[in-house]
Amino acid sequence: MTGLIIFGLILLGGAAYRFITARTKTLQGKIAAHEAGAADAQTRTAAAKAEKKATQAAAVVALGYVAEADLDTENTRPESPEEKAALAAVRSGDWEAGAAYLDAAGEDWEERWQRVRPLSDVAAEDDAWLLAWRAARPSDPTAALVNADTAVLVAWKVRGSQSGSRTTQEQFRLFHDLLLTAQEAVHEAQRLADPGDPVPYMVEQAVAQGLGYPNDEYRKLWSEIIARDPKNLSAHANAQQYWARKWRGSHELAMSVALEAAASAAPGELLTLPALIALVEQELHEDDLKKEVFFKEPTAVAAVDAALADLAAADPGDWRTVRLRHLLAWLLFWQDRDAEALEQFKVIDGYIGAMPWYYYGKARYVHARDWVVRECTPGL
Amino acid sequence: MGASLRALRALVLLAGFYLLGLVLIAALVGIDIGASAAGIHGPSLAKIVIVSVVLAVPIVRGMFMLRLPKAEPLPGVTVSEEQEPVLWRTVRDIAAQVGTRAPDEIVLIADVNAGVTEDARLLGLRSGTRSLYIGLPLMTGMDEMRLRAVLAHEMGHYANLDTRLTPLIRRGRVQLLRTVENFQDRADAKVAKERAKQEKKAEKRIAAGKKAKAVDTTGDGAMYRAMAKIYTAYGKFYRRATLSAARRQELAADLASVRAAGRDSAASALRELNAIGPAHEFYMDSYATLGVGARLLPPPGQVFGGLRHLLDARAGELDGLRTDLPEEPASPYDSHPALAERVARIEALPDDGRGAQASRPSLELLADSEASLIALERAVLTPEAFAMRRLDWEDLVHESMSAYVGQGSEELQEAFAAEGVGTGGSKGSDLASLLKAVDADPAVRWRITDRLPKSDEAAAATGRAAREFARPVLRRALNQLVTAELTARGAARWQLSWTDSATLRYPADGFEEQLHGALDSATADLPDTEPLRKLVLAP
Repeated sequence: MTGLIIFGLILLGGAAYRFITARTKTLQGKIAAHEAGAADAQTRTAAAKAEKKATQAAAVVALGYVAEADLDTENTRPESPEEKAALAAVRSGDWEAGAAYLDAAGEDWEERWQRVRPLSDVAAEDDAWLLAWRAARPSDPTAALVNADTAVLVAWKVRGSQSGSRTTQEQFRLFHDLLLTAQEAVHEAQRLADPGDPVPYMVEQAVAQGLGYPNDEYRKLWSEIIARDPKNLSAHANAQQYWARKWRGSHELAMSVALEAAASAAPGELLTLPALIALVEQELHEDDLKKEVFFKEPTAVAAVDAALADLAAADPGDWRTVRLRHLLAWLLFWQDRDAEALEQFKVIDGYIGAMPWYYYGKARYVHARDWVVRECTPGL
Repeated sequence: MGASLRALRALVLLAGFYLLGLVLIAALVGIDIGASAAGIHGPSLAKIVIVSVVLAVPIVRGMFMLRLPKAEPLPGVTVSEEQEPVLWRTVRDIAAQVGTRAPDEIVLIADVNAGVTEDARLLGLRSGTRSLYIGLPLMTGMDEMRLRAVLAHEMGHYANLDTRLTPLIRRGRVQLLRTVENFQDRADAKVAKERAKQEKKAEKRIAAGKKAKAVDTTGDGAMYRAMAKIYTAYGKFYRRATLSAARRQELAADLASVRAAGRDSAASALRELNAIGPAHEFYMDSYATLGVGARLLPPPGQVFGGLRHLLDARAGELDGLRTDLPEEPASPYDSHPALAERVARIEALPDDGRGAQASRPSLELLADSEASLIALERAVLTPEAFAMRRLDWEDLVHESMSAYVGQGSEELQEAFAAEGVGTGGSKGSDLASLLKAVDADPAVRWRITDRLPKSDEAAAATGRAAREFARPVLRRALNQLVTAELTARGAARWQLSWTDSATLRYPADGFEEQLHGALDSATADLPDTEPLRKLVLAP
């Protein structure tokens, strides 16, 4: 009986299936036509939007701001002719030109620090000149310094910039081994260096981050640095990375270190910078923070006000002030202080190889800048 | 519960499976009739009918799949009473103690296990041919009293008539499993089809420059899955009904084991099982088959018999396994309760005064254990494996490790050839040729490593980062050549260890540290090959 029923059902089913598929086909055709129409409409609105956006962007550029495509995301200021010449010389194997360029910074340690990294960048790609330099002058402190900084750079290159889960075992193992090698190179550079030179210790800051120095060990390193150059802006900025939650610290530690630095300095010495970094790092780390809320909190407003006062007291010819201005532009934008933000954008525009833009990218920079410009320009 | 009651339950449970099928089909038919009576007609009714037919198919198939896959007999050596009088006498002795008929055949197998089967007839109402399987690795690791305890446990299953019902219970389980699988397969196929369809659509959208919708197959195959769920629920009920009985059977068999061998022997036999199992697995992977890649095997009889060396050498390590027993059954489907529970139940019994009697190794129950181990190899190994070259343990380790190092350097040879290393009439070893080439042009090192396989990250790296990816590769390659050079000259030898992995014994103390330094120099940015040459090639 069951068999009979099933047999009947199957026969019936076959006929019904034919019928249904025929119907659905015509239906599907209609749906497809509908969808195509909707897609057309979407394309038209998208095109209109893009056109409007382009017009707006062009209007800002017309006021003298740099177009998105022309923004320099590598540097915070134009490369100096000396730097260009030195890099070209070492590329062609003339290490002596590199040595002279670096040593010309003299005891301006911030400047010496700024000049090392571009040379290390070259050495990380092709270090024949560095090997020649080291072979010719085994106890040259400057060669040892470039060697150490290059070693650090190569370790980070091997690790790559992907998150932990997208970094391979091979990369992690090599990264660790190479940091240990870099640490040796750093210690060698410290032994050979001028006793007053903090730069080899500043190179060790990156090693400390990668190897995860315990806090006490980092404080020891830090005391070596500030004993040699207490107000070094780059060293303070580097330290913020270590004390950030993402490396070996916490939001609270980072902010307290930053405020301590600010308190130790006179207005114009620019040490209000670390607090601005601490704000940006905290916001980046916490997914649930809203920029328009967090950056308007009293701590953030106080930090921004302090930095503005610091900036006002600083030597206007000091290039380091742009480092404050980049962060201020971003924070003032979120605090809806558009006029003050515009002042910063006017100065920094063009060269955006700085915090916070290397976290956010060109598009966010342009968005913030154009917003501020439009808000402050009547009729735009 | 008596055996006949258990038989009845097994039968009822199996009948329940058929009943469930009929009920489900009736329900489907009922829905169709109901739909038609409720005035649904035309295409909608047809659709309902189609769905019910489609769902009925797997049910009917499950009910009519009567043929079960045949249980494979375990490969092994069947031994007659004439061949193994002592073993047979022991087994009969145990059978008498447990109070059951002795098995009809004894088969020696290659597992750390013993087991019984019974070819029961008439749904388990009549006794059939009884087979007793005894693992030689089990005998290797246990003394006679413990083996008696294990065998008594197995024969306890005969006595409780457990073995008779096994086929019936198995039929029920297999048919249920098949039906559930059938439904799930259909559900999966439907999801896969839908996914493919949506992905194709998404591709089209992307091709047309639009944002693709996320693929969503949540609702697909839901009907199939619902049917599978009904059967799974019955399966769970079935398993609970039979499993608790199965576990009780195991505990009852443990009591038989205690009666036959004494409380302490029975408990320590279970502890021993927990140690020998993993030891045997490790032994088979790391020792017995170590030379297989070089087509080498240990001497005849040692493929399974060599376990003894490992058990003796790692006695301390194994003690941990004897004391830390698993608290959970090996799997939810395992008919054995957790080992810890079984041992605790046995050890809670009153002392029977028999203690853990000292007794001879159980391999001595065999007329010629060596010959049995060889016969087992013949029965279990493929003819190809059986015919492999046999070497004693020391030579086996040395020769196979040397062969593996040699095999590993084959791609190195190709890289050398491509870079012209060792060609042009230079004589001597690979290492000598390479060092010579490095002296002439240090960069040849990176050209060689560039030809060796590497990770995507290494391939993408440039400049010094690329070199840092290559440096460990170069170091390994050089180390390989050093090993090949030293072993070929007889200056170094791979060393067997029953407690650790094989190591290379270098010509002198402190050689290894010197070698590290020499490899560092040879792989440095500004290389110095002299230390390596002096250390390895000079003598």
